[in-house]
Amino acid sequence: MAGVEGSPGSSMHGVTGREQSFAFSVTSPAVPTDTTAKFDLPVDSEHKAKVFKVFSLANPHMRTFHLSWISFFTCFVSTFAAAPLVPIIRDNLNLTKSDIGNAGVASVSGSIFSRLVMGAVCDLLGPRYGCAFLIMLAAPTVFCMSFVNSAGGYLAVRFMIGFSLATFVSCQYWMSTMFNSKIIGLVNGTAAGWGNMGGGATQLIMPLVYQLIKRSGSTSFSAWRIAFFVPGWLHVISGILVLTLGQDLPDGNLGALKKKGDAAKDKFSKILWYAVTNYRTWIFVLLYGYSMGVELSTDNVIAEYFYDRFDLNLHTAGLIAACFGMANLVARPFGGYSSDFAARYFGMRGRLWVLWTLQTLGGVFCIWLGRANTLPIAITAMILFSIGAQAACGATFGIIPFISRRSLGIISGLTGAGGNFGSGLTQLIFFSSSMSTAAGLSWMGVMICACTLPVAFVYFPQWGGMLCPASKDVVKSSEESYYASEWDEEEKQKGMHQQSLKFAENSRSERGKRIASAPTPTNTTPNHV
Amino acid sequence: MEMFSSLLCREHFVVTASPAPGQVLKGGVDKITVIWGLNQTLPAGTDSAYKTVKVKLCYAPVSQADRGWRKTKDSMKKDKTCPYKIVDRPYNSANKTSQSVEWTVKRDVPTATYFVRVYAFDADENEVAYGQTTDAHKTTTLIQVEAISGRHKTMDICSIFFSAFSVLSLAGFFYIEKRKGKRSQ
Repeated sequence: MAGVEGSPGSSMHGVTGREQSFAFSVTSPAVPTDTTAKFDLPVDSEHKAKVFKVFSLANPHMRTFHLSWISFFTCFVSTFAAAPLVPIIRDNLNLTKSDIGNAGVASVSGSIFSRLVMGAVCDLLGPRYGCAFLIMLAAPTVFCMSFVNSAGGYLAVRFMIGFSLATFVSCQYWMSTMFNSKIIGLVNGTAAGWGNMGGGATQLIMPLVYQLIKRSGSTSFSAWRIAFFVPGWLHVISGILVLTLGQDLPDGNLGALKKKGDAAKDKFSKILWYAVTNYRTWIFVLLYGYSMGVELSTDNVIAEYFYDRFDLNLHTAGLIAACFGMANLVARPFGGYSSDFAARYFGMRGRLWVLWTLQTLGGVFCIWLGRANTLPIAITAMILFSIGAQAACGATFGIIPFISRRSLGIISGLTGAGGNFGSGLTQLIFFSSSMSTAAGLSWMGVMICACTLPVAFVYFPQWGGMLCPASKDVVKSSEESYYASEWDEEEKQKGMHQQSLKFAENSRSERGKRIASAPTPTNTTPNHV
Repeated sequence: MEMFSSLLCREHFVVTASPAPGQVLKGGVDKITVIWGLNQTLPAGTDSAYKTVKVKLCYAPVSQADRGWRKTKDSMKKDKTCPYKIVDRPYNSANKTSQSVEWTVKRDVPTATYFVRVYAFDADENEVAYGQTTDAHKTTTLIQVEAISGRHKTMDICSIFFSAFSVLSLAGFFYIEKRKGKRSQ
């Protein structure tokens, strides 16, 4: 791969988007295997794994996968650890509804910034140290929860713990150093989905730990504080595992590797420009705020909602709330798979329709959840809502790699930030005011449906959009023209756009069944990737 | 009675509680003495249906503000005003005028402003009468409770220890690996 180590967006380079969501392996001769390498899994010329064996712990590839998703999972556990214990915390700290809501907003806001910094940290120190640094420096913030005495302290600690969600970046970056680009889509999607499950697992873990501590004689106001030691220890343990068992690259750690000097470095300002001036970027930033964003918001409010509305005890409410987050195990990959499936027949137009359908259905079920008056109906609505929202997250990243080739990394980063921003916004509007949580959920559902409509405006000249078919113009309707338009003449003279042309050729599958009609471009010689 | 509003005309008890105005009760430590009795002006036989009496600690409106989980609702089943039970005992018709109970404020009672309410129940466990320490608007003679913080010195020390352990082991690893790196060059 000619991408230079550490250039912006390099962590997503190689994600062509053409990967089938369930492509478990890459066959030779599609990608030749390096037979001289002595790894447990078949590897390519860069020693990246060509096979994704989920239940293996083979060093270094699969071991890295497990270390990576587990550390991301741990950060989700600690960020949302307070949520199922809010009924106790609100009494101990004398919190009002706005205090609780604001702390929820704070818990997702910190990582908007920390994610941006994490990219640079991974470039400088490598993903292993990037991950370990964040997770072990965040451990004191988790332990600090035991000191909190007021609403202000509660908000500050939740804000600081929330920084640790930037492990998403180290997780994805680390995967891209270990796995071949043709399977990176599945690998990254699985790692992200399994990490997100932490938001569900914590709703189960924390009330259980709390009950155990109470049974051993503690008061409720002490028990919840002691319970926070569990996510704190998880941080320390996973940090140490990452440091002792992990390595940055298949052949060793970052310091030992020589940099490739042949590919030209791209300019950050240019990459940023093309990301920011592409209107599709902003539509997806908005959209992800209403799939991932509402998922995070719901993680923060759902346990307390069931506790109060249906008079359940803490661990029953936690169990139900856990079902929401744990659905990520299958729902997110399902979304990616649906996107790929639709693309086989209808190309990009299919992907867009699938995304709109899944996300809007999520919104409808969210409306229903707020209006449900009996427990069985509320649980049903919640599960359907979780599937809709999480599958929409998976479907979103089925489309993102096609928005831009040059600025893929930044667009992915901006989209991720949009998710957190949407979470902060929805918690502020719907769950921090005197509106009841039930009404908040229903109105959030309405907002989801409204904010998903803009996907109808996404139009690719070469493939079409939800409502309009592809352009009939011979020039504009080629993938090459779309992706080459991100480079100016001078850059094209230098041949900097060759990667994009290669990508364009690979992306012809997004025409769906019209592939046969695609004209072959005459003047491009694809570089060896 | 299913609705509290139907009880309003049946405030049959006179209730007083021990804390002086301005006194703050400490959770787990201080005691509160509640004295209640049937209103002497009522006709005889008013209390013939009363079988059990429950005395509860209830949130005053100032502690319910912006806290929907403590909301006062007319339906007795859904009402969340009075979560803490002080005592639950059979109605003593022999001693109607002066019943009392001494109760130590439990350690899970949160910091808030309260009043005390007494409910009388009939044989079917329905509320049939009540009385409270405060007026109808729940603004006078309120009781302040200051809860325990839940923090302990041991907890604080463990917190600091594990935090330091995390930071120092990270620094240690980093330093050792940098030195190994330098040595091998």
